[in-house]
Amino acid sequence: MKRFLSMPPQITRLVLLTIAIICAYFTARYLLTPQSFGQYGHYRGAALQEIAGREPFWAGRKTCDTCHGEIVQKLAKAEHKGLSCETCHGPAKAHVDNPEVKLPKPGYGQCVRCHEASPSRPAWIHQVTPAKHYTGQVCTECHVPHQPNEVP
Amino acid sequence: MSENVTRRNVLKNLAGIVGGILALPAARTCQAAVRNVFATAQAPKGYDPFKHKWLMALDVDRCIGCGFCVEACKAENSVPQDNFRTWIERYVVTRPKPGSGESRGDTFVDSPDGGIGGFKPSLIPKEDVLKSFFVPKLCNQCENSPCSQVCPVGATFESPDGVVLVDKNYCIGCGFCIQACPYGCRFLNPETHTADKCTLCYHRITRGLRPACVEICPSQARIFGDLKNPIADDPLQRFIENNKTQGLKAHLGTKPRVRYANLDEEVR
Repeated sequence: MKRFLSMPPQITRLVLLTIAIICAYFTARYLLTPQSFGQYGHYRGAALQEIAGREPFWAGRKTCDTCHGEIVQKLAKAEHKGLSCETCHGPAKAHVDNPEVKLPKPGYGQCVRCHEASPSRPAWIHQVTPAKHYTGQVCTECHVPHQPNEVP
Repeated sequence: MSENVTRRNVLKNLAGIVGGILALPAARTCQAAVRNVFATAQAPKGYDPFKHKWLMALDVDRCIGCGFCVEACKAENSVPQDNFRTWIERYVVTRPKPGSGESRGDTFVDSPDGGIGGFKPSLIPKEDVLKSFFVPKLCNQCENSPCSQVCPVGATFESPDGVVLVDKNYCIGCGFCIQACPYGCRFLNPETHTADKCTLCYHRITRGLRPACVEICPSQARIFGDLKNPIADDPLQRFIENNKTQGLKAHLGTKPRVRYANLDEEVR
């Protein structure tokens, strides 16, 4: 202690200043680091919860299955078995929240988006050239979307 | 001692004490403000990130280039108009010149509007096309991700359940991660001014739903599952068993967790 006090005053000042800076750093770090930082790693653990907190937009096929089980089962029998209801029928969240809200009927455009012939498409998918394939007729006149093997 | 008690010294000490007392509530307010900014939003309860390991797989031979996944992703995650968290690329490989001794000609890649609304016919005449196919792209959720290594503030990270995420409340928008990503999967969100990317629909998978693109894909080109909790007749397990899979740009050592099957050598 005596030795410390006997240091030249400019050195004492420097030592005190260094200690003050270090203390200020730790105080600022304590005050400004978010609570959950470092919970799982070098990031804010609470961010996981925040990102997960967003509301889903698409209802999902499981949700449709709770009321429209029959149609989902029918769909499961044929080529369209992998399709989600919302792929053709559009977002169903509003309809799930309130069944009175009806979804728009899927149209010609929905069929052609997948079935229009293209050299880039793999061969396994049934493709047609809309300009040559029974023009002027609606797809559903000959095809049942829920059961493509069936004839209406 | 007594000679130190001057008016100047007393005033100095007094100012120091008053300053300290005044600084304390200010520091408290500052701390409260920081905590407030990072207040936890409502999230599904009972989800333990250590009990899951998510994996996305893509079958190039199943992709028909309809573009529904891109639209589904945009709607699900409110992705800005000019940016994409997932997109579809069309590869067109032309025939080699006759007698050139090459196995293939040139490769053309396009992705008009990310594939939204489907693809219009290619400008390359059909008879010149050797082969053509669609490749869906998204964040590769690297195990050894360059983006989270360069982040100076710890705003992007690999979560315990195998998803690379961005903490948009902590991101400073410096853009280092966007340059670091070798797959071009990140963008600066013009609305939030922070880095943005695919989250594998983290808000859906933590609720037991599939990611929007997987849900909407009509041709099962996108397969998704939990490696730690395989379900009965798990599509992901079946996919891994039945296909030779690979990740993109394996030579970079990023260990991409998104697996591709039936990938052509031209795809980067």
